Amino acid sequence: MSETTTNKPYPSSSPGLKPVKKTNPFRRFWKQIDVQLMVLPGILLVFVFSYIPMYGILTAFMDYDIFTAHRIFENPWVGFKHFKAFFDAPNFMTLIRNTIVISLLKFFIGFPAPIVLALMLNEVRHMVFKRVVQTITYLPHFMSWVIVGGLVMSLLSTDNGSVNILLKGIGAIEEPINFLSIKEYFWTILISTNVWKEVGFASIVYLAAIAGVDPNLYEAADIDGASKFKQIYLITIPTIMPVILIFMILAIGSLLNAGFEDILILAENPLLRPVSDVIDVYVYRIGLQNFKYSFAAAIGLFKAVISIMLLTIANYLARKAGSSLW
Amino acid sequence: MMKKKSLLLIVSAVLLFSTMLAACSNSGSNTEKPSPTAPASNNPGNNGGGTEEPKGDAWEFGSEPLSFSLYYHYNWADFLGMDEYPATKWLKENKQLDIKAIQANGSANDVMATMIVGNKLPDVIWMDRFHQDFDRLYQAGQLVPLDDYLEKYPNLLKWAGKEKLDLLRSPDGKLYKFPNWYTDKSTNTAGYAINKKIHREMGSPTLETIDDLYKYLVDVKAKYGDQVIPFEPDRAVDGQGVGVLYTAFKEGALYDSVGRQLIGVPNGDKLTSLFTDPAFRESQKFVSKLYREKLMTQDAFTQTDEMVTEKLLANRVAVYASSNVTQKTNLAHSEIIKENPDDGYFVIWPFHKAGLDKNKIYPGGYDKLGWNVAVITKNAKDPEKIFAFLDWFTGPDGMNLQFFGPEGKNWKGYDGEGSPIFTDQFDPVEVADIQTKNTWIQIVGNTSYIDPAKMKMEERLPEKDRNWQAKYQSEITWPTGIDITEFKDLTPPTDSEEANIQTLMTELLTQVLAESSQAKSDSDVDKILDKAEADAKKSGYERLLEWRTEQWQAKRKILGLS
Repeated sequence: MSETTTNKPYPSSSPGLKPVKKTNPFRRFWKQIDVQLMVLPGILLVFVFSYIPMYGILTAFMDYDIFTAHRIFENPWVGFKHFKAFFDAPNFMTLIRNTIVISLLKFFIGFPAPIVLALMLNEVRHMVFKRVVQTITYLPHFMSWVIVGGLVMSLLSTDNGSVNILLKGIGAIEEPINFLSIKEYFWTILISTNVWKEVGFASIVYLAAIAGVDPNLYEAADIDGASKFKQIYLITIPTIMPVILIFMILAIGSLLNAGFEDILILAENPLLRPVSDVIDVYVYRIGLQNFKYSFAAAIGLFKAVISIMLLTIANYLARKAGSSLW
Repeated sequence: MMKKKSLLLIVSAVLLFSTMLAACSNSGSNTEKPSPTAPASNNPGNNGGGTEEPKGDAWEFGSEPLSFSLYYHYNWADFLGMDEYPATKWLKENKQLDIKAIQANGSANDVMATMIVGNKLPDVIWMDRFHQDFDRLYQAGQLVPLDDYLEKYPNLLKWAGKEKLDLLRSPDGKLYKFPNWYTDKSTNTAGYAINKKIHREMGSPTLETIDDLYKYLVDVKAKYGDQVIPFEPDRAVDGQGVGVLYTAFKEGALYDSVGRQLIGVPNGDKLTSLFTDPAFRESQKFVSKLYREKLMTQDAFTQTDEMVTEKLLANRVAVYASSNVTQKTNLAHSEIIKENPDDGYFVIWPFHKAGLDKNKIYPGGYDKLGWNVAVITKNAKDPEKIFAFLDWFTGPDGMNLQFFGPEGKNWKGYDGEGSPIFTDQFDPVEVADIQTKNTWIQIVGNTSYIDPAKMKMEERLPEKDRNWQAKYQSEITWPTGIDITEFKDLTPPTDSEEANIQTLMTELLTQVLAESSQAKSDSDVDKILDKAEADAKKSGYERLLEWRTEQWQAKRKILGLS
């Protein structure tokens, strides 16, 4: 026993620590063939399900007829006709405004919310209470929007809706308020429902990141007399910053996804359309429900191009901050 | 070290291989799944099935096994299988029929698109008459014309009549649609139902004019407060009670004027704008007044069918208006009278604006061509045999099977008028059960035949056992229905300029109807409708109205009205 320790004081002085020699890339590849094989199914998956179907984008520039099935080149080319139709749509500006406003609201409220929850949960010392809160907050994530929507509608209904009964009970209002038919309330209802549904689940990854913070740092801070808030501000947040940044980049990439199911279900009242109609809902109602596949494909492509641009800008900024996707 | 590495290599190889296997097996099952039928063929003429009987001779349903696939193009209804309905179960055991189910499971449009793209159409599709997919299938030449079979098989031509079938014909002059619930008499079920208990407690006031209605609603609200919904318009987002009220403001006004399929008002021999129609403006002002003064459900534009039914069941609705007033009320009525036989609901003669003739007010219409259609696709191996079955099913034998069960128990033989003769063992409970269970297999219903038979059955019953729904339909809703056959199916062909206008107009109408109903004042209603008219003109509304006027006049010619 003692012999081995004297012979090899540092077991980690394995070949891995030796400076890597620049070798032929093929040889390097062959040396890691086991690892490379494991990547292959992933690449295959992306290729088959994300790259091959991309030829369907071509239908955005055609008058696509679904009876031609996969023989899409039999369809006539029409150039930017469908893009033009979309830009000329009577409510184009409303759609763009709503899409941007709703996604920005979701970004500025929905993105930090799980971080705050994770930080708060991290400070809870009572383990049972912490677990219970965690479970309760992440459960709504597994409910479909149809159920959540039904729940919200029942809660906010004017006829026997719990919220109205409560407000009347405490004397805040005289007559029930028709929450889901008032334009001014829609964004608030939409965003709060979203936060309620997703906050718990999204906080899991931040909790995991927080768990990885070295406890010695807190001990040291404690000795130096740092308050709890100072510890969060100076230790926890800086340590999980890379995770936050990565998720922020991803969130920016999907900024134009203002949501679909949630809006479709919560904004049932046509009165709300001036504030609730976003690109995706419009594509569904006008494009897919009327089988205008080319039109829908064109708008989808338009959205994708803008999303890639946003993603690239966000990543560029993040790289300046020292943590980026690529 | 080396050992470890080779183990890892094996593990990852196995992983990769299994992924590929999974992918393969997946694609294998994908190609088989959507087609439970025999291999599809695009060319029905090449099949051996038709050669077995001599040409020109009618095939007798039940003489040989018949099998085909059936798809309901609806989100809310599926054909579930032969064993799920008494009628099909009997047909399977006695007539060698086997219908294979293809189900939409709530996503009819997706399933349909998948079947079209994969060239795996079902043999028979049951769908809305005006569905765009009909036009799509027709334009792609995927449907079998029924003309050759009409003369050979007796029932459809006899019961529907040539005139109605002519109306169903497509632009190429051929008939592709097998109608459901075609009729010569009114089938209207739109109107108003009144809560008996509340009406009694209010001192049973007369309810005839719009002013009576308004006063009643105000009094109900004053007496019961939030406990009772004074006026329940059902799902107003679909028109419903809002459209029904519109008909009270003009003699001969059509509920369908406010509908997405028409969006126009007949004026002489032209269709004109809905938004400038004085009666529509007046009725929307009335509706918005009800809404403002909280005399009408505030959730009218957001509520679901279940919420409406719940309110009716809870006995909390004073006046209920709907395009199908007997359906939900029937359910609620039969529940309520279990505990309080004197309560429940009654259907009232439609309200009218004071000064109008109450006999010229029609809250709803009926379409002689009925509701939906069944079409046979070119994927069907033996379209003629399928037609033979549909024709049998819509005939007296088929209809009686669906309504009264197989011949022998509840009925036996026919009387002089062709109606079934009910036996002494006739069991009303069993018959009601049969009718309920067979509802979703009635795809080629024959109203012309079955309504007199149903009436004959009702007459056998003592007054108290008579069906609530049947009573009010025959006494009120049917007589207050107007024939709107000439206004139906004015849908422009898919991908035409008019179809694009129609899409924009549907959008506009849905929003305008909601906005003007929830307007803050009468002058707001005018403002909203003025703006709607301007927006509509920009979208090409006039062109759509011209196109519709032309089609409408052509239909009037076929019907012999002009």
